[in-house]
Amino acid sequence: MKRYELIVIGAGPAGLSAAIEAAKAGMEVIVFDENARPGGQLFKQIHKFFGSKEHRAKVRGFKIGEDLLKEAKEAGVTVQLNATVVGLYPEKEVNVRIGNEIKHVKGDAVIIATGASEAVVNFPGWTLPGVIGAGAAQTMMNLHHVQPGKKVLMLGSGNVGLVVSYQLLQAGCEVVALVDAAPKIGGYGVHAAKVSRCGVPFYLSHTIKQVEGTDFVTGVTIAEVDSSFKFIPGTEKHFDVDTVCLAVGLNPMSQLAEMAQCQMEDNPKKAGFVPAADEHGRTSVEGIYVAGDVSGIEEASSAMIEGRIAGISVARDFEYVNEVEFAEKVKGFETALGSLRQGMFAPGNRGKKIEKTEEGIDISTNLLKKGYLEDEVFHFPGVKKIKGLHPVIECTQNIPCNPCQDACPKGCIKIGEKITSLPDVDENSQCVGCGMCVASCSGQAIFLVNEDVGDGMGTVTMPYEFLPLPEKGEKGKALSRKGEEICEAEVVDIRLAQAFDYTNLLTIKVPAEFVMNARFYKAI
Amino acid sequence: MEKLQDRFADIGEFIPQEDDDVIVCRCEEITKGEIRKAVHEGIFTISEMRRYLRNGMGLCQGQTCGKMVKGIMAGELGIRPVDLTPATARAPMRPMEMKILANDRNEE
Repeated sequence: MKRYELIVIGAGPAGLSAAIEAAKAGMEVIVFDENARPGGQLFKQIHKFFGSKEHRAKVRGFKIGEDLLKEAKEAGVTVQLNATVVGLYPEKEVNVRIGNEIKHVKGDAVIIATGASEAVVNFPGWTLPGVIGAGAAQTMMNLHHVQPGKKVLMLGSGNVGLVVSYQLLQAGCEVVALVDAAPKIGGYGVHAAKVSRCGVPFYLSHTIKQVEGTDFVTGVTIAEVDSSFKFIPGTEKHFDVDTVCLAVGLNPMSQLAEMAQCQMEDNPKKAGFVPAADEHGRTSVEGIYVAGDVSGIEEASSAMIEGRIAGISVARDFEYVNEVEFAEKVKGFETALGSLRQGMFAPGNRGKKIEKTEEGIDISTNLLKKGYLEDEVFHFPGVKKIKGLHPVIECTQNIPCNPCQDACPKGCIKIGEKITSLPDVDENSQCVGCGMCVASCSGQAIFLVNEDVGDGMGTVTMPYEFLPLPEKGEKGKALSRKGEEICEAEVVDIRLAQAFDYTNLLTIKVPAEFVMNARFYKAI
Repeated sequence: MEKLQDRFADIGEFIPQEDDDVIVCRCEEITKGEIRKAVHEGIFTISEMRRYLRNGMGLCQGQTCGKMVKGIMAGELGIRPVDLTPATARAPMRPMEMKILANDRNEE
């Protein structure tokens, strides 16, 4: 039986990161993945990631995937694709299907990094063609460049639902509504805000009653639910759609761990049935480790760090690195992981009601219930009325993210030591209008505003990731945070620099009284 | 170790519900009503349910419906979903043609 020092199951963010660390320490590593392409979900992620500058914040997901693959290759990791692990036994025998054959191989150590699959909810009509998972929508759009449908209703307001809704808009689909049974939006406010300003209505405390159609989806009816999630009669709303997209959570794919007799736990904090593991990814079975979503649902950035910890932990247990090297490496990873697990969306805060920011400012309930900020936007330190050109940062929730701070060459933006602090705009600093902050914000929450450019007019510069690009001199409508047309707008500039990484900077001229409300542009 | 269910627990009569005909397991086309009825026929564990109705035994092996089945059964039994042990994980983890399994020899 062929023997490997380390077998990693799954070539997603966690698996690749684990393989890289172990291989760098000198181990012989093979990664099996059942898919035809490596990277797990990373190559579908066309948006910029959150986090700290040191940990790839503001880099787009697929680029992170490309870099990981390159790093794996350089480290000497073998990635075997179209290789489905169908069995895993306590003696670390791995059965892997390759082509029409099952290969029996053994690993001195095995890291399970199989990730998660999409959860569903059922309702009459949910098996009709046209009801798809958000992941399927991303695969169609971002890997195969196919629209999943023309008119889409999204169920689920977590980050996946929000991000995929935005991507559907980018792909030219119409998103008729974003629906969630919960009374509050589950994902980042900044993601909700960028969907809202495109005019997508949010229906919180609503869910799908039925999907209509005989051979495929032709429509959907939603209705309001009460606090025990029962439909309230008479609150039905109907939409003509051809696609219903579900983004209702993820289930860890932990069966291999169970098969290998790892001790399992049903842990709501980890969003499912997962192998119990210590902080270095070690399960109850010696030599079997876990990393990433399979050991508890989080997001790709944490999965990558968990993977690195598991990888270096294997290398330590097999004496490829000594305790000192191990401790040093793990400390760095744990600090990074710790900072990603802070803020109001931290795993430890799941289910908790948070009413104030760390700065003591009331959390915007509009943002949580409607998807956009109203006048309370002025309560936040990034939003100030300053004479002349200045950034307006509509970042109102404590999330671990700080690229904007270093983006400003003039030091106008301050977050400070704590990565979750809200960005503060310095009233006395001189904004030169370079737009680096606008492009650096993964949440697309930074605007450059000039309230007075003469003749009672002002300008707003916004991040713009849609095609076709508006042309200079073109006239259209300015949209509010809610996505409503509020006034005429003239495109006065459109900029793209390599440093902006495909985020265009669109500057529109609007009457001065609208500069603090105009947040999107619509061509007519 | 499977948590023991009290086989004599009184879970009441089967009362039809409006959404009983909604499919839960789409691979094997098992409805909510069928699952609920089966509980009242004495099927108290997820492993038994899979053998009884074949829910979770199709293409996706219960990866899609597992959580929903658990929720429906727990509701019917009046217990928390975490008190029901999930189905046992077995090889092959993914559906596979019989001929591949049949040709599987431990050659080396």
